[in-house]
Amino acid sequence: MKSGMPSLSRRIAVMLSLPAALIAAWWFASAGSQNFYFPPLRTIMETFGKLWFSPQAIHNIAPSLVRFSIGYIAAAILGIAIGIPVGASRNLRNVLEPVLEFLRAIPPPVLVPVLILFAGLGNEMKALVIVFGCIWPVLLNTVAGVRALDEVLAEVVRSYRIGAIARFWHFILPGASPQIFTGLRQSLSIGIILMVISEMFAARDGIGFALVQYQRSFAIPEMWSAIILLGIIGIALSMIFRAFEAWILGWYHGLRQSQRAN
Amino acid sequence: MSAPTTNVRAGISARTVVWLQGFAGLAGFAALLEILPRSGLISPLYLPPFSTIVAALFKEIMSAEFWTALGDTLEAWAIGLVISVLAGVVIGIAIGSSNAVRTLTHSTIEFLRPIPSVALIPLAVLLFGSQIQSTLVLVVYASFWPVLIQVLYGVQDVDPVARETARSYGLGNWAQIRYVIWPTTLPYLMTGIRLAAAVALILAITSEVAIDTQGLGKQIADTESGGAVAIMYAYVIVAGIIGVIVNVGARALERRLLAWHPSMRLDNAGARA
Amino acid sequence: MPITRRTHLSALAASGAVSLAAPMISRAWAADKLSIAVIPIADCAPIYLGKAKGFFAKQNLDITLSTQGGGAAIIPGVLSGQLQFGFSNVPSLLIAQNKGLKFVGVAPGVASTGVAGHDFCATLVPGDSPIKSAKDLTGKTVAVNNLNNIGEVAVRAGVKAAGGDPKSVKYIEVPFPDMPAALASHRIEAGWMVEPFVTIALSRGDRVVDWPFVAIAPKAMIAVYFASAQYISANPDIVKRFKAGMTESLAYADSHADEVRKIIPTYTRISAEIASKIILPIWPAEFNRASAQAMADDALQNGLINKKADIAALLP
Repeated sequence: MKSGMPSLSRRIAVMLSLPAALIAAWWFASAGSQNFYFPPLRTIMETFGKLWFSPQAIHNIAPSLVRFSIGYIAAAILGIAIGIPVGASRNLRNVLEPVLEFLRAIPPPVLVPVLILFAGLGNEMKALVIVFGCIWPVLLNTVAGVRALDEVLAEVVRSYRIGAIARFWHFILPGASPQIFTGLRQSLSIGIILMVISEMFAARDGIGFALVQYQRSFAIPEMWSAIILLGIIGIALSMIFRAFEAWILGWYHGLRQSQRAN
Repeated sequence: MSAPTTNVRAGISARTVVWLQGFAGLAGFAALLEILPRSGLISPLYLPPFSTIVAALFKEIMSAEFWTALGDTLEAWAIGLVISVLAGVVIGIAIGSSNAVRTLTHSTIEFLRPIPSVALIPLAVLLFGSQIQSTLVLVVYASFWPVLIQVLYGVQDVDPVARETARSYGLGNWAQIRYVIWPTTLPYLMTGIRLAAAVALILAITSEVAIDTQGLGKQIADTESGGAVAIMYAYVIVAGIIGVIVNVGARALERRLLAWHPSMRLDNAGARA
Repeated sequence: MPITRRTHLSALAASGAVSLAAPMISRAWAADKLSIAVIPIADCAPIYLGKAKGFFAKQNLDITLSTQGGGAAIIPGVLSGQLQFGFSNVPSLLIAQNKGLKFVGVAPGVASTGVAGHDFCATLVPGDSPIKSAKDLTGKTVAVNNLNNIGEVAVRAGVKAAGGDPKSVKYIEVPFPDMPAALASHRIEAGWMVEPFVTIALSRGDRVVDWPFVAIAPKAMIAVYFASAQYISANPDIVKRFKAGMTESLAYADSHADEVRKIIPTYTRISAEIASKIILPIWPAEFNRASAQAMADDALQNGLINKKADIAALLP
């Protein structure tokens, strides 16, 4: 292995080199493109600037992100809240596991037609779709995380008669959190997918809505710009999540690293 | 959390008790679905009683349309999964075998991974309309990444001593892959396939709902449009059951195939659920 | 080799030289297979009727019909070659033409009866709504099945004709099947619908405030059967035969309302009961270029297209 870390500038250069090369390749390969479906990257970028950096853009971006955030956070809270008692009780787990396995196997977008019946076509429906889709990975991973809590520690906590709230805050939550975060990470990508899908039916704003409208009116560069925007949002949310995870789980990552080193 | 107990009553083993509990849970859920609409708490127009849904399900199972739709969904799922697994293995081993290539491609993979596959829906529709290819675009794009990531983990986990030994014995690249890299990567690959199988099914049905390609998803969308609510729920249940079969099946397969394999993974955190 | 012989023979049949032998020979070789997408609404009854009556088989065409939600979904299918012919409303085709895609109408699809109070499309409001006429739609939100499409063109025409301000109307996209329920639960203020949803909404107590197709143009032609210019130039004979089959189907449907009502439940989720009550459109024999021009003018004025449409190219 190389001795010492490469310098920061070197690492950034390596990180950006392939993406930059790919983008350049796309730029030049599509430069004179006459293909209707694959316009020149330059056209797409110009359209991108025009569309998404205008004050108008906020009308589509904001509702999408708001619905996503509400749905995701609600799913996270519900998933953890339900997951902890279920994970803690073996009997509860045994009873609920088949039902939960079934519910979680239903592809969330399938629920869009179902939820249209219940919640109509507005924002509530879209947020609900996101909640229904995102809750399962969080819930099931919380169950797994709580279930796997160190038996010895559990005994110690019990014999010291540590109160429920303290137990929750200092033992259960930290102990299960690595697994919970795995679930939260999976929910993130599901949430983005559902945010887009829920806006493709009967919506009046949102990025998914814009995407479908562009496709329907054959506004191809605009459509590509929306695809790229979704990609950027996906990447940005993923990075934010990872930073948040590193902050919360800093203690865990350090522990694992020292374990591995031994 | 609770101390393990063995529930041994007159002849009932612990395992049977677990099964019974699970069954009770399902029965309770079904009962809930029956009572809520009948009591009027939820309008039966939005949620027909469970018995009505089951009746509709049995009627659908007798129709050819059901089996065609099921076949279409499974076809798209299977083809897409095979493509992503093959691509994931080949590209994963190629990238993972070289530290330099891995470092170089790391950022690209991390950039492309979070892009929601559904963003490609309009493009797929324009290119392929509502044929199976549209579905395949989404399925492959979404299920490729879990396989790739897991294969990369696997290749990374290869014992460097083993590799050096293989190299010093003059084993060529292909032999190295076969005897050193592949056995280590296999458990990771199985995890990747399990994750990919679930994702592929979800995306297959999703694209059918969104793009109107033939399959279970389209049936659900059509029945909702047509107001045939009980049939819609019947199809939703079928989608769920298929999903459970795929998940459970993949997990069982993973366990069976790797029963002989010494567990080389230190933590299961990334692979669970 | 049999294929070239078949094409050659079909050409002879088309020229009428072997018109008697043609039916015998066409049975010996497979008919041309066509994939056609339509919308599961009353408008498309003629093609189903025509298929059932064998008008297309007579033309040596084996057509497979599938349904899509709207013209906007069918156009990409025709563009990609997945479908040979499609059913689409005129504004969608104008928009496509505006973007440089070359589609050409092959046969008329459906037209408005032109009679207010007895047309197959209407703008409805909940029974207790304060909206009383198209003029009251000024500033309101109307649900249409596809944005930037025939719904908007129609509603605008109706509002304008009633003296309201068409530019102030806002639109929200709601699939037709969800409109009656959305109206009933007051989730939308008004909905532009076609049959059978008009009848369904009326039976739930909603009220008609406007018959917008009437306002677009006399007996406005709403939709056509179309194909890509590329397909037409590559398969002129198939197109000719399809057109013949279509013409016969349209004429038959226009004069056999009872059979139309009987076939509607077979390709839609519309019950026989509702099918017997709905108002049927008329199925014209020729293109109505004047109404297409009126739609093109509205499209240009309202930003659906950004340059003048070429009606002659679209409807030769």
